[in-house]
Amino acid sequence: MELTLFTYNYIQDCISASLMLTIFVDCSQEHQLQIVIGDHDGMVQLFSMKRGEVQIGFRAQANKPITRLELGGALGTVKDKIFVSSGNEVRGYTKKGKQFLGFDTNLTEEIKSMHISGSDLLVCGDYVYNHYHDCQDTNYFLSPDKINDVITLPAEKVKSLVPVLACEDRLLRVMRDSEVLYSVELPSPPSALQLFYNDGGENGDQILYGTTDGKIGLVQLGRGSAIHRWVSDGTSSPGGNRKGGVTCMDHHDMTGDGVRDLLVGRDDGTVEVYSYEDGDEAEPTLRFSTACNESITSIQGGIVGNAGYDEIIGSTYTGWVFGLTTEPMDRHMTSESGVVHISQESRQKIQKLRGEIDSLQQQVLKERDRYQAATQSQFPGISAVPFFSVNDKMTLNRSDASYLLSLEVQTAVDNVLLQSDVPIDLLDVEKNSAVVSYSTCDPESGNFLLATYRCQANTTRLEVRIRTIEGQYGTLQAYITPRLQPKCCQVRQYRIKPLSLHSRIHTFDPNRPYNVLTLKGQFTLPEIHSWVVFCLPELPERTPAGEQAEFTFVSTFLDTQLQCQYEAGEAVFRSDNISTISILKDVLTKEATRKKVRLDISCEVSEESVVHALHLLHPRLEAQLMLAKQVSLIDALREVAAHESDTSFLSPEYQNILDKADNLQTQYRKQPCHLERLYGMITDLYIDKYKFKGINVKSRVPQLLEILDNYGTLELQHLINFFQAP
Amino acid sequence: MNILKKIFNWWKPDSKNQAISIYSYDLDGDGVPELITGWSNGKVDARNDRSGEVIFKDNFSSTVAGIVEGDYRMDGKNQLICCSVDGEVRGYQSSTPETRYSMLDVNIEQETIRELSQRRHTLLMELRNYEENQRMGNSGELLYGKPSMAGDQVGVIPANTQLQTGLAINMGTEEKNKPPHVEIALATTNDTVIRSVVIFAEGIFEGESHVFHPRENNLTSSVRVPIYPPKDVPVDLHIKTMVGYKGSLHYHVFELTRQLPRFSMYALCTVPITQPNGHVKFQLQERVARLVMWVNASFLLLEDIVATEDGRLEVSFLSLRTTMPLVIYATSQCEVTIRTDDMDLAGDLMQALANYLNLEDLQVEADFPNEVDQLSGVLERVEEYHSTRQRLSAEMADHSGVIRTLVVRAEDARLMSDMASMKQWYGELYALNKDLISGYKIRCNNHQELLSCLKQVNQTIQKAGRLRYGKSKTAVVAACRQAIKNNNVNALTKIIRLGHT
Repeated sequence: MELTLFTYNYIQDCISASLMLTIFVDCSQEHQLQIVIGDHDGMVQLFSMKRGEVQIGFRAQANKPITRLELGGALGTVKDKIFVSSGNEVRGYTKKGKQFLGFDTNLTEEIKSMHISGSDLLVCGDYVYNHYHDCQDTNYFLSPDKINDVITLPAEKVKSLVPVLACEDRLLRVMRDSEVLYSVELPSPPSALQLFYNDGGENGDQILYGTTDGKIGLVQLGRGSAIHRWVSDGTSSPGGNRKGGVTCMDHHDMTGDGVRDLLVGRDDGTVEVYSYEDGDEAEPTLRFSTACNESITSIQGGIVGNAGYDEIIGSTYTGWVFGLTTEPMDRHMTSESGVVHISQESRQKIQKLRGEIDSLQQQVLKERDRYQAATQSQFPGISAVPFFSVNDKMTLNRSDASYLLSLEVQTAVDNVLLQSDVPIDLLDVEKNSAVVSYSTCDPESGNFLLATYRCQANTTRLEVRIRTIEGQYGTLQAYITPRLQPKCCQVRQYRIKPLSLHSRIHTFDPNRPYNVLTLKGQFTLPEIHSWVVFCLPELPERTPAGEQAEFTFVSTFLDTQLQCQYEAGEAVFRSDNISTISILKDVLTKEATRKKVRLDISCEVSEESVVHALHLLHPRLEAQLMLAKQVSLIDALREVAAHESDTSFLSPEYQNILDKADNLQTQYRKQPCHLERLYGMITDLYIDKYKFKGINVKSRVPQLLEILDNYGTLELQHLINFFQAP
Repeated sequence: MNILKKIFNWWKPDSKNQAISIYSYDLDGDGVPELITGWSNGKVDARNDRSGEVIFKDNFSSTVAGIVEGDYRMDGKNQLICCSVDGEVRGYQSSTPETRYSMLDVNIEQETIRELSQRRHTLLMELRNYEENQRMGNSGELLYGKPSMAGDQVGVIPANTQLQTGLAINMGTEEKNKPPHVEIALATTNDTVIRSVVIFAEGIFEGESHVFHPRENNLTSSVRVPIYPPKDVPVDLHIKTMVGYKGSLHYHVFELTRQLPRFSMYALCTVPITQPNGHVKFQLQERVARLVMWVNASFLLLEDIVATEDGRLEVSFLSLRTTMPLVIYATSQCEVTIRTDDMDLAGDLMQALANYLNLEDLQVEADFPNEVDQLSGVLERVEEYHSTRQRLSAEMADHSGVIRTLVVRAEDARLMSDMASMKQWYGELYALNKDLISGYKIRCNNHQELLSCLKQVNQTIQKAGRLRYGKSKTAVVAACRQAIKNNNVNALTKIIRLGHT
């Protein structure tokens, strides 16, 4: 069934509404719902729609930005109480706007996520999880990495309280009291949680998670372990574009088939509707997808605008509340006379807006003059312009080992300047409409990349794909200038770490041949932790609790592993890739020298590991060469196919290429320079292997490249032999 | 013209892709043709020619190759037909007035509301900026002079900060490997520093922008940005300067636009120089003062030059790119001589001057001995290539006769099952074929050379044309072409020199 939805804009009421959430309270008589929004200025408001007009229910003001809005109520009854978190306070309002709760949690961090279940209140800061029962502090947990979301299994179905924390280190932590019961490893860092079917499924033990790289998955949480039911990968089609990170999910029956559908909002502005065709057994099917170019901050399904028509209500980063309704929009229009009739209410709305804009314009002009006058005056006044909020994210994509930097501002962006002091490559992102221009870099000024993105009118979001080189580290800076007077720009800095292409995992394979790097010296745990954070991405800034720390990483490019174990005075790094160890050794030595700490470094190099790494590289290299070969054949084969009525005389291999031609070409286009990157890795491996022996083999690199160029006809053994030559 | 310009402005900043093909077609059936544009990324869009609003768009998977219209389905109605470089062809039917409104975005009222709300939103945000500024200014708790960090949530600089700009010529330094260039000097009036300068301008950088971003510890309150315009074109430099304090996360952006004079890459020369051989001489019905004004406006000068006391103008420049001299001399009767060996530059100067003075027609006397020598050399070569071509064509005709006999003989031998002779004849045919192929390659090369020579001749004619303005310009080009046609080299050089035969 096709699903067609029409956009309907409600309000954009808040000036700095960078985070708004909508939730509906059942307004029982008319079966129409009311919307509650909270914004960055601390305003909470409830409104409903009556004949296209916004009817404000109540407004309340808090001092700090609203971070979360949740509904609560006694278990088993309708959830009609509004709970709001701002700063480290939690407030409760009835739907009439009466505040019945004002609760200072005394948390040291600001509340980032919150969940309410009956009289249990769960709040999380960046690292702290706190559980209050009837406002009494009951449980407390300090998470090793950032907490992105919190939820509990439905208390109606599961008798005990089972909170689940979504943590940045790719884990779902299932809690019991103040302890972690067990944790579930996920393919990517989770960013949002939702109960399956809004009620946790049949037994109330199923949870949906959305990840920062666009995946959605279902897990069933058992008593002592979890079962992964399904994971949808974050691409729109095989080999297609990657979807944005999931920010929010909800369930509502949009298709009208009696089964609730999954609604998903993403940070690239996509809203999607999936329907469950096989219940919880398999991945749901995409029914509808629309893009609104601003990241979605929350999403809900319900009936709001017009009785009888289901609607998706969403809010965006710039403060829009919009509806996607099943009600056909052209109902309002008649085209008999050939003129589009704009309905009376819309016309009024537009006129009102025009009037408002005119008066604002006057006011702005006056203020602008006053501001200009101040710049001419003799008195040394100040020109103070508040920061505009920037929603930025830099995430590593495991599948093609590149970073995605996304920048979003509340108002239209004029231009963005990217500057980097390390060599990095910018890749084109198709949906960007901004005009990119590279400027020549003078090596004296320490710049390796200077690029400007000039944005089109009304662009509030910019995405840039970045390819880094391991071993090269430094800072990438983005200067963002919005189209807002007085013109200002804000700088955002992103560290490019030495081992930028590694990502966290939680299982370590002890059976590989490992190279071991051991450091001993007079350093404390926080010191060594800060050095490791300096080298590797996806680590929490704060020092882990306890005497010893252990982290495991996998290279997104090669699948080699790295294990870091360290405590005060000693650190051990194990990796089956000698280049990784070499980079770590260089960077850590440099850092320690800078801090004037004496280090005792010892290295155990495993000859086997080089062969092992080559065996890991082999299938990739072969696949890439194969792909390149196949793609080069496509044109010729197509020509043959065009001239022959029947292509069955071709060998199966060629027929296969013809069939998959489009797919192969997109794959090939998607990863330019992949082969060069692999060559670079092998060369590094070769140089590093001999570096540890104290031999400089730079002069032999051309020979190596020659072997690689003829790799298609040679065997892996040939390469291994070359590596093992003395 | 106005309308055209408006649209031009509208879709010029439209995207990072280039327009490949444009067409005018009434796609929505309202009687007014739309501008159909095919883009390099495969997008096809139809725009209202007045507002530039997109009324229809489609996407091909590869670059659009062309757009035409025709009755391809033979049903008596024309369609718009678009073709991509991959060979995909799509046809589009005009919509009738009845179906027209379904094609229009049904969300038109929503779009309007959204657009208006967005404007309101922006205005409100600006207003809030001023309010906050006022509030903080009055509270007096904030002091400038320190970097604004993440916790501050506000960027502060003294209100009377001003940015001074200047354009100047820098003769460069040998040891730092810096060739002579034009320099933009920017300075703030107090202790604020310039973090970065972004200059947007068209046609003088590799991309559309140039970024100046010094190291963090080298930040100062005055910077000099070198630029090297590759061509003599007047350019608007849109300069965005980020001003604040060292280590800030927030900078004020000062935006300003400066015009770079057309001949900025020519430095005023104060020492005597050798007079170039080539020159253009003409009489202007103008006062010398106007000429002086033009020189002041078109060149980058530290101070305005003035005519001498007896009303003459004599000024010499050095090109920063080639270090070739340029001398402009005018008598008090406004008899002007421009001396340079570069015919291109002379043409540029003449066009710019005639434009500035609003002349309708300008005839000049020109003498560029080097160019003329070159031209006659090129013409001789053209002659040679022509004769070679004729010879080669004759050879080819000979060969084709032989081929025919060889084929007949070989086939005869085959029919008579005389395999040995057949082999022999086909062997000879093969050898002949190889000859033909190599002959063809020679002809190809010859043709290429000929084309490049003809191109050079044409360029010289264009240059000669550009020395004149208005009617004289077209007359010179036409006369030159005629001379080439008549193969009259002497006439050609004469036309180039005098502008007529």
